[in-house]
Amino acid sequence: MHKRENSSHLIPFIIGGVILYFLSGMVDELRVYQGASIAVYVVAISSIILLTGYSGQVSLGNGALMAVGAYAAAVSHISWHLPIVVCFFIAVIAAALGGALLGAAAARLSGPYLAGTTLALAIGLPSLANQFSILGGEQGLLFDVGFPPLSLGEEFTQYKWFFWIAALATLIMMWLLQNILRSRYGRTWRAGRGNEVAAQLSGINTARSKILAFTLSAGLAGLAGAMLSMTIGTVSPSAFPLALSFSLLTGAVLSGVTTLSGVMIGAVTLVAIPEVADVVAHNLGTSESVTTNLPGLMVSALLILTVLFVPNGPVEQHRARTAKKLAAQSNK
Amino acid sequence: MKALHRRKLLTATAVLAVFGLAATAIPAQAAEVGVTSTQIKLGMTLPMTGTASLGYNKIPGAAKAYFDYLNANGGINGRKVTLVVKDDRYVPTEAVAKTNELILKDKVMALLAPLGTANVKAVASSVNPGRRGVPVLFVNTGFSGFADAKKYPTTYTVLPSYIMEAKIMGQYIKENFAGKKIGLLYQDDDFGTDALAGFKTAGINFAVKVPYASGSQSAAAAAGWITKFKAAEADVVILFGVSSATSAMLGVAAQLKYAPQWMLGSVGGDATTIKLTGVPAGVLYNAIGFSPVPATTDMKDEYVKFFSDIYTKAVPGSAFDLNVLLGMNTAFMAAQALKAAGANPTRKSLLAAIDSKGATFANSALVPAAYSKTSHVGLTGYWVGKYSPAGDLSPVGGTYVSYTTDSGAGAVVKTTYKRPAMPAKGLPN
Repeated sequence: MHKRENSSHLIPFIIGGVILYFLSGMVDELRVYQGASIAVYVVAISSIILLTGYSGQVSLGNGALMAVGAYAAAVSHISWHLPIVVCFFIAVIAAALGGALLGAAAARLSGPYLAGTTLALAIGLPSLANQFSILGGEQGLLFDVGFPPLSLGEEFTQYKWFFWIAALATLIMMWLLQNILRSRYGRTWRAGRGNEVAAQLSGINTARSKILAFTLSAGLAGLAGAMLSMTIGTVSPSAFPLALSFSLLTGAVLSGVTTLSGVMIGAVTLVAIPEVADVVAHNLGTSESVTTNLPGLMVSALLILTVLFVPNGPVEQHRARTAKKLAAQSNK
Repeated sequence: MKALHRRKLLTATAVLAVFGLAATAIPAQAAEVGVTSTQIKLGMTLPMTGTASLGYNKIPGAAKAYFDYLNANGGINGRKVTLVVKDDRYVPTEAVAKTNELILKDKVMALLAPLGTANVKAVASSVNPGRRGVPVLFVNTGFSGFADAKKYPTTYTVLPSYIMEAKIMGQYIKENFAGKKIGLLYQDDDFGTDALAGFKTAGINFAVKVPYASGSQSAAAAAGWITKFKAAEADVVILFGVSSATSAMLGVAAQLKYAPQWMLGSVGGDATTIKLTGVPAGVLYNAIGFSPVPATTDMKDEYVKFFSDIYTKAVPGSAFDLNVLLGMNTAFMAAQALKAAGANPTRKSLLAAIDSKGATFANSALVPAAYSKTSHVGLTGYWVGKYSPAGDLSPVGGTYVSYTTDSGAGAVVKTTYKRPAMPAKGLPN
């Protein structure tokens, strides 16, 4: 068992990739587009889970860090015509640098103070783009990764191309992240989250460990931002509203904030909710304002219900229940 | 062992879920997308909620009012025109997601009047209606770039471009305010870039130019702008911004008793919207304004009377304003395009119909449209008017004097355009 924990688990990710590859050829284009959105959310939510669930720091500013990544990718693509892989890499580095700066400040803060600081960032940072003409102001920059290569065939759609890029990036990222979380660093973060004083006593530099978590989390958010702007074709301040940071947080809570394995639940829910709301509103024949506000209402309701009934998320809940059952069995 | 079981269970669930999604996929249709024997489906994205929705959220109601009238009178060759409207809250991400729904899920035949330069650009680059062959009829923005048929092969503009407007304003300034100091407030993006290009072509030199970033307009910001205009001693101040910028400026100017000769761009010049924000009507008095369609209060105009009658019956209690008139005018032009697209309209025949007959579509505008096989340019000019003490824009001296031009170096000329008479009962013929 112990040996398994430390292995790299490469095979499940490869299998996942193969399944996604075949799936992308079977479903219609709307589903492929939604698949790309799910990939974006998976990375963005993981970034919160890493920070909040593992290292115990609250951040409401992930939308802002996504914006940093998105702008970095778009600017490097427009200015230097770099290949998309390099742009994504730059997005990760730029956001990680931003995260390291933020983390240095955050290491001195905790709880509501940290939440407040990151909230201010979420509100303020995206609109900074208005101050620099290279960032294209309110209407933003075009981020056009181009058509899929012709070798993939005439029928190969743009969204399938986006999906492939996003899914691949996500699989690689998740694999890396899972291994980091199982490593010494992951244990250090959990120790710090559990009891900071005890962690310090056992020789952990908790400040450094927090900054590292912030940096990594920001890097992930940056990648999510670059992927998001790829799927919508532009980067603009309005693509990263405060509501984005909040819905990501909701996604993380739905996923179960202390474990990475539920991340799909949050991501799929965030993509599915507008569609479910649409069907509900359509069947009820409600007014425009209800139709518009229904998704927000459903997200909020889910958040409250999750916190009330499965505070650690469905996956963790299931895990705890089976562990309890197992303990009961062995006690007999 | 337990961990392994759980993982297997999770994997199985995930795989099942994804295949479930796949199963709901609908096979491709044989006939033209969005067209059945009884229906033609169109889609629209625009802000219906949020601050940017002010005034614009009346457009779907206006367009639907006309389509309902059309459907009650036989539709297009027996097909009813339905309009699916999605709220994008003026956010590009939302515009892309909603347009995807319209094209891929609702399967509309064409997009009608999507609003906002940034949103239409984001949709063009991500959803790419051009590559999909989906017509984008009559975008609700005056950015001149959308007429580029190479870049946006299925997109047609309808509003005169911001460049045209700036050129016509420039001409008016030269004729009426020669030697005066001119100030300009403009938006620091494509909207403003277009305006500056137009004023440059017109040969206007500004005493002061004040840019603002979209979203930054507020009463506090407006106080700052006024300081700059005052310092430069501007005699004429042009407000070439969105409604909220115009309203903020006029509201603060009223408080500070700052009263230069105002000149309002058409984008932010709708009197109903400005007055809704609390700006006293008196501030608008004598300001110069521009519009491609007749004054909304001009009930002697057959189109205005017709549209106004339908709208007030369909949406009781809602004021008939410029947004409504333009919305209905656009729906009216779309109906003619669909009719001209033949007995069994397709996306291709719809585009071809606008290319060949678009310039002759009857509509309320007092300036010609420039659609042709080589041009996706819609209306090409404005009439110049002044705001009344009640704040309504009407032509100086009671007769419309309209100017026409292009988005390039072409001259500004008084147009001799004869508007086609309204077809019988306001139905496409």
